[in-house]
Amino acid sequence: MKFSISREALLRPLALVAGVVERRQTLPVLSNVLIQVDEAQQVALTGTDLEVELIGRTAASQVEAPGAVTVPARKLMDICKSLPDQAELHFALEEGRAVLRSGRSRFTLSTLPVAEFPSIEEGQGSTELSLPRGTLKQLIDATAFAMAQQDVRYYLNGMLLELKDNLVRTVATDGHRLAVCSRPADIQVAPAQKLIVPRKGVLELARLLDGSDEPVTLTLGASHVRAHTGDFTFTSKLVDGKFPDYERVVPRGGDKVFLADRAELRQVLSRTSILSNEKYRGVRLLLEEGNLRVMANNPEQEEAEENVAVEYSGNTLEIGFNVGYLIDVLNTVDDERVQMTLSDPNSSALLEQPGGGDAMYVVMPMRL
Amino acid sequence: MASRKILHADCDCFYAAVEMRDDPTLREVPLAVGGSQERRGVIATCNYAARAFGVRSAMPTARALRLCPDLVLRAPDFERYRAVSREILALFHELTPRVEPLSLDEAYLDISAVTRFRGSATWMGEWLKAQCLARTGITLSVGAAPNKFLAKVASDWDKPDGLKVIPPQAMEAFVAALPVTCLPGVGPATATKLETLGIRRCDELRHLPREALIERFGKFGQRLFELCRGRDEREVRPQRVRKSVSVETTFPRDLPDLASCQAALPALVDRLEARLARHGHPPPSQAFVKVRFDDFSLTTLEGSAPWDALMTQAWGRGARPVRLLGVGVRLRPPEARRQLPLFDEGP
Repeated sequence: MKFSISREALLRPLALVAGVVERRQTLPVLSNVLIQVDEAQQVALTGTDLEVELIGRTAASQVEAPGAVTVPARKLMDICKSLPDQAELHFALEEGRAVLRSGRSRFTLSTLPVAEFPSIEEGQGSTELSLPRGTLKQLIDATAFAMAQQDVRYYLNGMLLELKDNLVRTVATDGHRLAVCSRPADIQVAPAQKLIVPRKGVLELARLLDGSDEPVTLTLGASHVRAHTGDFTFTSKLVDGKFPDYERVVPRGGDKVFLADRAELRQVLSRTSILSNEKYRGVRLLLEEGNLRVMANNPEQEEAEENVAVEYSGNTLEIGFNVGYLIDVLNTVDDERVQMTLSDPNSSALLEQPGGGDAMYVVMPMRL
Repeated sequence: MASRKILHADCDCFYAAVEMRDDPTLREVPLAVGGSQERRGVIATCNYAARAFGVRSAMPTARALRLCPDLVLRAPDFERYRAVSREILALFHELTPRVEPLSLDEAYLDISAVTRFRGSATWMGEWLKAQCLARTGITLSVGAAPNKFLAKVASDWDKPDGLKVIPPQAMEAFVAALPVTCLPGVGPATATKLETLGIRRCDELRHLPREALIERFGKFGQRLFELCRGRDEREVRPQRVRKSVSVETTFPRDLPDLASCQAALPALVDRLEARLARHGHPPPSQAFVKVRFDDFSLTTLEGSAPWDALMTQAWGRGARPVRLLGVGVRLRPPEARRQLPLFDEGP
């Protein structure tokens, strides 16, 4: 194998592919990136952690000998990053080691056999459909923050992707709060499909997508989902499990509805949170006509109190929340203002754009 | 600080006592409750007739049967023991809310603030013993002392059916004459070490300066220094916070491979779920799998993956025949439970 490529052509796909590679691996070869070069000057880079696989394609400037090699992903990326802009990189496989030359620099990297590099088995793709990349990205961005991280209920450590005729929906929840976002799409899926994409797959997929109207093609298999975007092929195992029914937890009939300036409320909550219990982050909200009072205290008996004007006329309500859950929502709502619907101190809150939008956020309170 | 009054109440050979209560023919024979010899079980409890043969709790059943071939062995019926335990705990709570259960059959009670029985620990002890016997048919041994350590020593003093009170003014003399083997944490090894120093009783132990004890016994040396002076400041903590719920099984024969471990999982998970249900489905935070291999090495793997995935990973750490498997969940701390859940937190 021997080829040349510009730093710029290599860097973006390499950075994305290296993102999939975990720092700590059980199998040594999983720390490596697979580089495959063909006669058509196409370079394919592959990274995997056995759950998520990402292949990035780019073009070599010259190929003397096609071939394949695996080299440590992070080291290669760090080298490429630190070389000067517009540098030309020359790769060669010499006596089982990968030699990278550029200008007056030379790096010799260890390799592992290409045959040891695992690929996620290509399952039967049953359904294929296309969406604008921007649509999928917005859906993920609107909900990903609510995914669980390491929950016993492993199916919560991921995102539900629901596809049906003319509609795509994402749902994420960690059991305390839930985010759901739906967008119309020009797709036909019968019967409707529901897949749980694991957390890491969701985050890596979001990094691949730009906000454009260019298509991303999804192939839905029984145990895998694959996404194609021009130069990238992303494959993720699916989480086997039953995702909770989001419709059951979206509150209906909350009678205390207020509107607040999103940025202002977020700042108020962020400041108050400084003096909340660091671990559990509880704050108390006291909703009155025209005013929302936010209070926090911590085990050291320090206290914070803030007041913010809100559009509200109704009965007084006092309710507690994990302030982090509210701030996450306010960081995500796509509007100048936010609408919050409450009913009583033990029932969930609904946050959304004034009048309702594509996204709904449900947050369960904390006992005061 | 005002002197405290602590009771330690301990049922006499509890599991065996429940069995004898429910089947009086067992009263006259050596009886043990535990796992069978074939299943490599151990003795959980035995009655005093069995103790006369040298049978002790935690002894392998096979060994107990060699010591006492006529030993009657019963498999434990925890459901029944728990029911009796609940009655006894309820009785304790009639005396004071400051009850710290240690297991199904023993508890500390802080009676410092109790004014009934004219505040007399002796009368309270007598009342508890009489009530417990009348209501449940189980005999209690009760110890009373100014701290937990001595209360526990006292409850053991006149077992079975004992009542020993160590009033504050008698404490000094009592501790001075106490054999060091009565101190919690002093087992055969420590006792031998002390004996080579010519130390058998607490008053002799007091001659060793703190530094010498710490040098010889590490952190435990500090504790020894306190204990031999009868000092123990530990509070009675009414709710011991349950941090995890788990079940485990030692198999009659080692499980040879991963597949047989996986096959044993569903039954364990069922038992865990039954146990969680009994505790009112406390909210879990993490699942874990425990594996003891045939070389007695032990590994515990915690995570959020499904059980079979945890099992595969945990087994891979030893990759050899397996003696014991356990599954459990860590629970969310009570403070975290203020956060209300979106979904009904079932098993």
